[in-house]
Amino acid sequence: MAELTTTARATRVIAAVIGVALLLAGSAWGQDDKFPFGPFSMYAGVNGPNEPAPDTRVEGTDSTGRVIVLAERNAGVRRAEIEGQEGAYVDDPARLARIVDSYQRLNPGAPPLVKVALIVREHEIRHSSATGRWYDDVRAVWERQA
Amino acid sequence: MRSWLFEAAPRGRVAALRTLTYLFIVFDLLVYSSWVRTRGDVPTELYQPLWIGRVLHLPAPDGTLVNVVFWTLLVLAPLAATGRFPRLLGWLVCGFYLEWLVIAMSYGKVDHDRFAFLIALAVLPTVGRARHGDREPSEAAGWALRMIQIAVVATYFLAAWAKMRFGGLGWMTGSVLARAFIRRGSDFADLIASVPYLMIAAQIGMVTFEALSPLVFALRGRNRYAAIAFFYSFHLLSFATISISFAPHLVALTSFLPLERVRPIVWLRRVAARDRSADTLEPVAVGSGGG
Repeated sequence: MAELTTTARATRVIAAVIGVALLLAGSAWGQDDKFPFGPFSMYAGVNGPNEPAPDTRVEGTDSTGRVIVLAERNAGVRRAEIEGQEGAYVDDPARLARIVDSYQRLNPGAPPLVKVALIVREHEIRHSSATGRWYDDVRAVWERQA
Repeated sequence: MRSWLFEAAPRGRVAALRTLTYLFIVFDLLVYSSWVRTRGDVPTELYQPLWIGRVLHLPAPDGTLVNVVFWTLLVLAPLAATGRFPRLLGWLVCGFYLEWLVIAMSYGKVDHDRFAFLIALAVLPTVGRARHGDREPSEAAGWALRMIQIAVVATYFLAAWAKMRFGGLGWMTGSVLARAFIRRGSDFADLIASVPYLMIAAQIGMVTFEALSPLVFALRGRNRYAAIAFFYSFHLLSFATISISFAPHLVALTSFLPLERVRPIVWLRRVAARDRSADTLEPVAVGSGGG
């Protein structure tokens, strides 16, 4: 059997202790910002049993009238990222132009976007289950100046 | 405690885990998280550096940085998967992959499926040389595997912790699953969602399983494998309902399995040798090594 030397063992114990301490501190007091030692907060937020479920999307309309949902693969921006910065987009809808820039760069041949809207579909929830009813709430709109 | 942390494990297990881990990076770059490459085209105004990015003064990602990290990893990871220069290549891959994740997570959304995978990248180089199929027990291999296992279990246990910290006990009777199903749900999810109170039962079940996950260390032999199978089935169900696979975490979870027995190359050679001997009716020695 291959055994470790005393020094090698001590180094590994110290590394493990530091790692565990960082991990526990991140979970106790940290936020996602402390990645990779932040809290494992996936789906950890609380939603009341009758609280509507928001489903956010960013819709772009191009010059041909086609409506496209803008997401990480075609515009480099993920839904959760939009949601995290929703306030900033609502306060300053011109910020949506950044997503347009990114879409245009990733799809150089595509017809230009003329309008982008941040829309939240609110699904009704009763007793922790969806009822199937929903309505769309347009939170921010950017339109290309003619 | 000391004997538990350093419980010797076959070096071949580390060799196999290395190959799997580094090959996963190729899959991650090209398929699983291929969207990370789009970061080079995202305007830097949307960049929200993580704490580590601010402390280390990492540059805001642009096209050049994203391309350099992408291509470096795409070359180094398959080389590391061969097991050659395990320390040098291992540390390089670990550093570049961490930077790749920093690029991915610096725009306001952080994923939680990679902690144990990152720990694997950090500890695998410490084992040094390890040959496929090598059954010789080593304390260095045992420590590295134990660290990955702890990271896997911490991901579950601390997820339960986070639910109590951010959501409180009301999390279990809330509507988190209904919300997740609406946002990412499959047809299968719709089927489950229609059963009354099943969502609440599932939420209570999830927190219970996550909170009790450290008990896997108290199990031995078949019972432990059964627990690991249960962990995998949990992720299978998550994937079937909300298409979240936790793929990097699933790779790290193999640290609980006797991977040294998985020898695809040896098996292929054996099959080839059998075919040859069937053709010539001459006995052919079974090759050794590789794997």
